[in-house]
Amino acid sequence: MHFMMSKKIISILVLLVLGIVFTISLIPDSRIDYSAQVKPIFNKKCITCHGGVKQQGGFSLLFRDEALANTKSGKPAIIPGKPGESELIRRLTATDPDERMPYKHPALSKEEIKILKQWVKEGAVWGEHWSYVPVKQEKVPDYRDKWISNDVDQFIYQKLKEEHLSPTVEAEKAILLRRVSLDLTGMPASASFATAFLKDSSHKAYENLVDSLLGSSRYGERWTSLWLDLARYADTKGYEKDGSRTIWKYRDWLIRAFNADKPYNDFLMEQLAGDLMPDPDDAKYIATSFHRNTMTNDEGGTDNEEFRTAAVLDRTNTTWGALMGTTFNCVQCHSHPYDPFKHDEYYKFMAFFNNSRDEDHDLEYPLLRHYIPADSLKLNQLVDWLTKNVSPEVGKNYYTFLKTWQPTINALQCDDYLNGAMLGCNAGLRNQGSCRLKNVNLNQKDQLILRYYTSLNNGKCLIYLDSLKGQLLKTIPLIYHKTGGSWEIVTIDLPPVSGKHAIYFKYSNSTLKSFDETGIQIDWLSFGGKFPGKGKAGFELALKSFNELMEAPVESIPVMVENNTDQYRKTHVFVRGNRSVEGPEVTPDVPHILNPMPENAPRNRLGMAMWLTDPKNPLVARTMVNRLWEQLFGYGLAETLEDLGSQGIAPTHRELLDHLSWQFMHDYNWSLKKVLKEMVMSATYRQDSKVTAELLKKDPNNRLYARGPRVRLSSEQIRDQGLSVSNVLSSKMYGKSVMPFQPEGIWRSPYSGDIWKISDGEDQFRRAVYTYWKRTAPYPSMMTFDGGAREVCITRRIRTNTPLQALTTLNDSTYLVMARYFASRMNELGGSEVNKKIAKGYELMMYKPISEGRLNALKDLYDKSYAKFKSDSNGSAQMTGLKEKSNPESASLVMVASALLNMDEWLNKN
Amino acid sequence: MSDKQNQRLLKEAEHAVLQQYTRRHFLKDGAMGFGALALGSLLGGCFGKSSASSQTLFDASNPLVSRPPLFPGKAKSVIYIHMAGAPSQLELFSYKPELAKLDGLDCPQSLLEGKKFAFIRGVPKMLGPQAVFRQRGNSGLWLSDNLPHLATVADEIAMLNAVTTDQFNHAPAQLLMHTGSARLGRPSIGAWVTYGMGTENKNLPGFVVLTSGGNNPDAGKSVWGSGFLPSVYQGVQCRSEGDPVLFIKDPSGMDRDLRKASIDAINKVNHEQYTEYNDPEILSRISQYEMAYKMQISVPDVMNINDEPQYIHEMYGTQPGKTSFANNVLLARKLVEKGVRFVQLFDWGWDTHGDSAGNAVDIGLVNKCAKVDRPITALILDLKQRGLLDETLVIWGQEFGRTPMQENREGKKMPFKGRDHHSAAFNMWMAGGGIKGGTSYGETDEIGYNIVSGKTEAYDIQATILNQLGFDHEKLTYESQGRNFRLTDLSGKVITDILA
Repeated sequence: MHFMMSKKIISILVLLVLGIVFTISLIPDSRIDYSAQVKPIFNKKCITCHGGVKQQGGFSLLFRDEALANTKSGKPAIIPGKPGESELIRRLTATDPDERMPYKHPALSKEEIKILKQWVKEGAVWGEHWSYVPVKQEKVPDYRDKWISNDVDQFIYQKLKEEHLSPTVEAEKAILLRRVSLDLTGMPASASFATAFLKDSSHKAYENLVDSLLGSSRYGERWTSLWLDLARYADTKGYEKDGSRTIWKYRDWLIRAFNADKPYNDFLMEQLAGDLMPDPDDAKYIATSFHRNTMTNDEGGTDNEEFRTAAVLDRTNTTWGALMGTTFNCVQCHSHPYDPFKHDEYYKFMAFFNNSRDEDHDLEYPLLRHYIPADSLKLNQLVDWLTKNVSPEVGKNYYTFLKTWQPTINALQCDDYLNGAMLGCNAGLRNQGSCRLKNVNLNQKDQLILRYYTSLNNGKCLIYLDSLKGQLLKTIPLIYHKTGGSWEIVTIDLPPVSGKHAIYFKYSNSTLKSFDETGIQIDWLSFGGKFPGKGKAGFELALKSFNELMEAPVESIPVMVENNTDQYRKTHVFVRGNRSVEGPEVTPDVPHILNPMPENAPRNRLGMAMWLTDPKNPLVARTMVNRLWEQLFGYGLAETLEDLGSQGIAPTHRELLDHLSWQFMHDYNWSLKKVLKEMVMSATYRQDSKVTAELLKKDPNNRLYARGPRVRLSSEQIRDQGLSVSNVLSSKMYGKSVMPFQPEGIWRSPYSGDIWKISDGEDQFRRAVYTYWKRTAPYPSMMTFDGGAREVCITRRIRTNTPLQALTTLNDSTYLVMARYFASRMNELGGSEVNKKIAKGYELMMYKPISEGRLNALKDLYDKSYAKFKSDSNGSAQMTGLKEKSNPESASLVMVASALLNMDEWLNKN
Repeated sequence: MSDKQNQRLLKEAEHAVLQQYTRRHFLKDGAMGFGALALGSLLGGCFGKSSASSQTLFDASNPLVSRPPLFPGKAKSVIYIHMAGAPSQLELFSYKPELAKLDGLDCPQSLLEGKKFAFIRGVPKMLGPQAVFRQRGNSGLWLSDNLPHLATVADEIAMLNAVTTDQFNHAPAQLLMHTGSARLGRPSIGAWVTYGMGTENKNLPGFVVLTSGGNNPDAGKSVWGSGFLPSVYQGVQCRSEGDPVLFIKDPSGMDRDLRKASIDAINKVNHEQYTEYNDPEILSRISQYEMAYKMQISVPDVMNINDEPQYIHEMYGTQPGKTSFANNVLLARKLVEKGVRFVQLFDWGWDTHGDSAGNAVDIGLVNKCAKVDRPITALILDLKQRGLLDETLVIWGQEFGRTPMQENREGKKMPFKGRDHHSAAFNMWMAGGGIKGGTSYGETDEIGYNIVSGKTEAYDIQATILNQLGFDHEKLTYESQGRNFRLTDLSGKVITDILA
């Protein structure tokens, strides 16, 4: 007792001393911390009425200049250094309920008022939110504990000590093997990696495994699955018709980029602006399909400009949400209510995206044209010829035109129809019908290239300047038998005209009696100069190549191409986010609170990409590191991956997040593999995930990391590991998306003949990342396990636990097929005894022997199944899917295999 | 596994759920310390962040637990029937004798200026009503002869005459009606209700969707999606062909005893895992497997209309085994009877442009009406005879209306009489669930082109539905991307004129 007493006294003394030390340590730097102490009070109590959305009494607390400005009363509410004269402070303590703030809400606490008084006294200095300050190199704590394995653990250990917790021991090898394989490659390790690791007793065994996994081509497929959510990738266009879109080459680009460990800054730069980088090759164009994953609306009569704008807004929101963890979309309608982004800054940033060529066109122009090898060769020869005989610049322009059909004007820009109408996105003219193309720059444009369609003989297209009564520039004969009713591209010379003019197109056909048949449909037009180099050797051949290549058969994919100066679009603020109410014009710029544009950066998408990947950008590295952490640990260091702003959940370990972000950019040169390796090599990651009741109470979601992660797998991981353990997973990589089994009747889109045609052979059993993704009817089992439709960017999947998930893994034919293959594997490898077969199955899944309790439960299931199937040969044939070779033993084993594939420890990583 | 063991497992699972619940309350009450970290996710958003109602109702371990609404509502469940494609109000609900006089005349330029249509080009002709209208019931509600059965229950109906939208294409207009936004990505009204109230019947989903007419609605599954709400709240599409719920049927060769044996084995293995790892999510999974097992019985059972008495089949015009709107309506009654909160019906094929006989307002529309008139009327009568009409809100909805002009696609005369999409004015109606029958709200001009009074937007309809269930539409919120979202966005007022 005496001893106890003294111990208590000692601890009190220690606490007192600590308290004094703590207080003393505060004295030299006792100033109020704006971000930690003041901003939370403002956000919680004031900003709803005095912020980005409302400014009651003309007073806003969002920015310092606004907060110190005159309010409606004519005086400022905050006078720095003088709390006694500041209306803000007076109102907090006023006794008149009409005066006392927060209006009609509970008063601030004494402590809060004290903080605000002191803060005004100290000069009302604004601070910046942690995530808007550039990443600094953090000092790594220096604990000496044998648990600690790398710097990650130092930070984790520090917090654990603060919370009086201890880390857990390393998980057993079998658990680690499964955990790290699923995390790094999305599926179980190959047999050779697994055996090598389990047999290797050296201290390098785990690191060797990690290196093997990072080097495996399965790695790229796994991380591509994650990126497809962010890129809102789908194989359809969305909206009503939701027709097919061929964009899978982008998915393949991602797999290759992840596998090659393309530095993350280049990875982003190419996706945002690959087309604007010097001499873009196909791969760089394909990377830009990232922002062509926006939806396209084909529904009849929709306003293409409306949906083009929707796509541009989506690109802006996705860039901020997915790449910079910022809810920038709030700023679309008003200044950000909590974070320091002003309303017009949204539109300044949107202006970076507002000059790409896409116009919600049904055919999704612009497209990258992928030639067959012989034509690619021809193209290279043509460009070489132009480079030598004309100029390198002209060579480049022709290369761009043949690769993208740009610059062209889409006929959907035509208006003023007479006896004609816009048909889809084409200008359709009937006999004597006409339409207008406004504002065409004809300076030095003496040639027109026109893509059109006709199915009638003897028609002609007349082209007039300024009006239908104006100068006839040209008559184009349209001959049906030549085209055979297919699309044709014609090149015609125009007389020289200068300045900007309206051009009128008229269709005329004297052999037609009726005025009702559509005679011509125009797709696009390109005004330019004549093919250059006339008179030089090889001119005829070059021209012939050009004409042939223009119409060569190609595979294509939607990509980004920038407008030329003639097509430049102005950007305006949309007042309160409403597209139809235009505010002032803005030019491309980045928000003032963040790093400035790099000096050499142009004011276009390329410059924006340079700004975004500048190590001074405070958000990009943090957002990605946080996301990688979430993929491994189940929650981000800052839980709200999508919002690192002042309303997001603050990081549990900010210093660690910054440390890893710094390493990522500076030490690892943006290598994702290196930063992932740092994470998985930590003792933190390698802990056992068992939890005591006490720890569970203290830290239910494992945000302090006193144990290893235990998280349900993603829909992709669940499918892939099932196919893998059943030994049917196809290792085929790349190519067009596949259609594995799905029940009938999932696809019922109106006005669409598209059908789900089940893929043949091994394409049934490809990894989930290759599954065809239809936005209005995504693959059912993926949706059940929390996948999203990918209509817009999915910044975070919320995990649920539902009975529909149980029904999927119990009854979906795909899972039944897996169980059958898996049972036959157990049968082959497990020897003659049932118990051994079951034990083998478990071991193939979990890399460790089965416990007695599990074995008994499964053997019991086997026995009950056997009892039924013994007298039911029909049932056993159905269960195994085999007619002749089926027997009660194998049917019962299928039952066990299915149960194994439904184990919680299989659906989770431990 | 013995029943006793099962009982014990379930008890433990329930206990774990309660623990989670307590944890949630602990966080909600704003305890300091580590719990406060999570508080930020519960409070927050662009607007009214700190109000008590902005706290999330989502509990990952038991997301569908039945919850009382914010105040006692009149209705317990909703049957929302949406006619996808948008039927012509001018042939069903909107009596416009003046329009008949203008039939065949050129549309005045004043109606066309500044307007944009889906298909009308140039100057179209006016098209008089292609149906005979009569006043019905004590209330004298005008209904056309296209809906003779519905006419007999006119006094149960509150007609909205002046509904309007700003979308004239099917997909965005359907999205606006059901999610409060013409863009994709927001939760549907059924998802909001399920999020707010959970499910009363633990063996059935809280939000069920049934489609007929051969196609899904134009906006696809997003009209019953969960948007940014957890996916557990999305509508479960029950199908009248194949499995009623995807993967509900055991593989061939397996009987119920064997399924029971396999779920027992799985749960036993999982329970052993729980004793090793102590993670309450494992107990959740155990209870979800139990529920899956129960759903396998209860869903096919409720989806089976074979056992309904003959008089019911006659009343609804149902034929067991077929896919039909009538069958879906009868299923809707069965579902709400069993405690399903929100039943959403979509019937496709009302897009009467006049490009074919099937799409003509005087042919196809009449046939479509004949298929829905009897079952909808039967639903109202049947709910009433079971004492369920008072607590079941029935809605006739559509994404927009149709023009008083005849469609002239591409500026040409069409082969049949049809009408283009019209967003400015159309009709919807409600019945039951605390709605005052025999009322009529709002007015349009003499030709049904523009609204004169009682303007009703999608948001108002949504606010009214939520109100009848016991929710203030401004308070049922969920935080996503840094702000609190609600179904009605920034608008919406309850249509008090039609409330009982």
